[in-house]
Amino acid sequence: MTPTERTTGRPTTTPGRVNDEVDARTRSLVSRVQMERGTLRMLVLTVAAFLLFTILNPSVFLDPLNIVNMAVAAPEIGLLAIAVMVAMLTGGIDLSVVAIANATGITISALSTHFPHAGGATTGLIVVVGFLVGLLGGVVNGLLISRVGITPILATLGTMQLFNGLAIVYTGGKTLYGVPRQLTTFGEATLAGIPLLFIVFVLAAVAVAVVLNRTPLGLKLFLQGSNEKAAQYSGIRLTRTLMATYALSGALSALAGVVIVARNPTASADYGSSYVLLVIVIAILGGTNPSGGFGTVTGVVLATLTLQIVQTGFNIMRLSNYEYAIAQGVILILTLVVDQVSRRRRVNKRATPRRPSEPKPEVAQ
Amino acid sequence: MTTRKPLARLKGGNNEGVVVLVLLVVVVLMTVANPEFLSFSNLFSIVRSSLVPTVLALGVLMVIISGGIDVSFTAIAIFAAYSTVTWVGPGGAGAVVLLVLACVVGAALGLVNGLVISTLRLPTLIVTLGTSTMFKGVLIAYIGAQYIADLPEAMARLGNANVLSIPSGGEVANLHVFVIPVAALCVLVWWVLSHTMWGRSLYAYGGDPEAARRAGFPVVRAQIILYTAVGVLAAVGGLMHVTLSRNANPQDLVGSELDIIAAVVLGGASIFGGRGSVLGTVLGVFLIQIIQNSLILVGIPSVWQRAAVGAILLLGVGVQALSAKRTSRKVFAYADEEVVAA
Repeated sequence: MTPTERTTGRPTTTPGRVNDEVDARTRSLVSRVQMERGTLRMLVLTVAAFLLFTILNPSVFLDPLNIVNMAVAAPEIGLLAIAVMVAMLTGGIDLSVVAIANATGITISALSTHFPHAGGATTGLIVVVGFLVGLLGGVVNGLLISRVGITPILATLGTMQLFNGLAIVYTGGKTLYGVPRQLTTFGEATLAGIPLLFIVFVLAAVAVAVVLNRTPLGLKLFLQGSNEKAAQYSGIRLTRTLMATYALSGALSALAGVVIVARNPTASADYGSSYVLLVIVIAILGGTNPSGGFGTVTGVVLATLTLQIVQTGFNIMRLSNYEYAIAQGVILILTLVVDQVSRRRRVNKRATPRRPSEPKPEVAQ
Repeated sequence: MTTRKPLARLKGGNNEGVVVLVLLVVVVLMTVANPEFLSFSNLFSIVRSSLVPTVLALGVLMVIISGGIDVSFTAIAIFAAYSTVTWVGPGGAGAVVLLVLACVVGAALGLVNGLVISTLRLPTLIVTLGTSTMFKGVLIAYIGAQYIADLPEAMARLGNANVLSIPSGGEVANLHVFVIPVAALCVLVWWVLSHTMWGRSLYAYGGDPEAARRAGFPVVRAQIILYTAVGVLAAVGGLMHVTLSRNANPQDLVGSELDIIAAVVLGGASIFGGRGSVLGTVLGVFLIQIIQNSLILVGIPSVWQRAAVGAILLLGVGVQALSAKRTSRKVFAYADEEVVAA
């Protein structure tokens, strides 16, 4: 429609068409608010958890040291959760994230024992090699899923065992000590009171959000997760998108591996064995739809912070790790139930529209 | 096509023939590498270590046939067995009492899964991930975290009961009495899956949930019964595990669920539901147990166990995926031919 058409056309529009236009605008506004509701809910939960433990034990919980500890512990879990979220966007899942992170950690630790007096440049190289090992793990997942055609859950279940198994073979089941000194210094450093590791986490999250929301790859990922057939017939090459998805997931896991060895100067094959469940819980809690097509980085970051607050809070309240595990399970299932109930309510509402409306693609923020 | 080619019949409905072939190759290779592999004591110990995984795998098989994935069965197994042992104490309760108590606990936990999954139609993997952490958390935080060596007397006695003892090479190879109930359970599950309406409804639901619903299968009820039954099977498996290892450790079993799922998938069950057989599952369990048990016999260090299982799993599902791709291409080819013929 050219501008002249619009100006000349305006007076002749019937009230009905104006109505339609207003209606469409209102609807898109309402749907946008609904989309944001997941993130909003997460924000409310984060603040609520923070307030709860502040009220329960303000002197310990608000201690700057405690806050810093939380900010140092959260990044590795957050990165892994974003990795799982990325896989879930295409309707898959990545169970191998922790195994990949450990592979990166072990590579870095092993290389640094070979070069004990490494300078800055060598340390940088070691970290890059470690990162590449993790990325390779992601590429293997991508190949198995996109080329061979194995279901993501089985492929990553297998590679999880394989990577973890190879890590056990290399380490002999022992813990490796020794991480480049510069990396440990980096892990302890702060910028304006904020731990550098947390800044790395935020930067990575922003980068992933940009990729997902502002690049063709991101759009393809969401489209493929919403409707694979439709994406295929729109000319999206499914294998390429899948490859990129799992490579991205592997890269994030590798970054988590770097963060892990920067935080605690040891690496072992069985580090973070309870993380596999935890990061899936975080991804779901953050509003990610496990069957694909919807998820937000903001939601996952907020969910990470919430669970970190709950864990620290439980510790302060002298509750055991097992009670924290129970809380994780309860939170996960309650979130699923609430999501499902509200989704059904929305579907019921949509099932009785006054006129057929075009379905709008879900765009994530 | 009613008459199938003999080769296709050998291959079996769910690739059981392929698993048998792989199993034979592995056995031959192992025997060549170390003739000790075929000794009665080694074979019996493989059977012994397969008992608990087989029982657990039967439950997983039923869930996978219905198109779901359950990862909470190990948590249910150890929960039921450990809490039974704790509540009964070292005193003398009969084996039947123990079994009933464990089964009731298992059924109750399975019912939780079933209710959440069926009434809310939630993804099974994620629900069971959640419930499995909850079950394990409740077990250790509220029921007990200690290793119990004093089992109830009936269990302690059963732990050493053998059905067959064969002297081999200076020592006696013992076949544990649990082979009988495990074999009976296999037959029972096979019969239920192939000869009851409920069993067929699992295949129907796994093949296409909407079609099963429209065909009139009571799918919600079928799923609730399914997860309760899996809870009971898990409880039986857990009790056997505690009996065979002669102690109750609340940290046991949990963590091995992926090995069991791998065995079921290797046995030809489709992760998308609708396909799977008891025979294939038993073969899959044997394959994984042989690899785990016997690597050391052929001179491969035991640190390779986990990597080997992962590699075998990837190989198995990779071959399945590739052959599925080829079949779908064949279907398209047939369709094209028909178009040309018309």
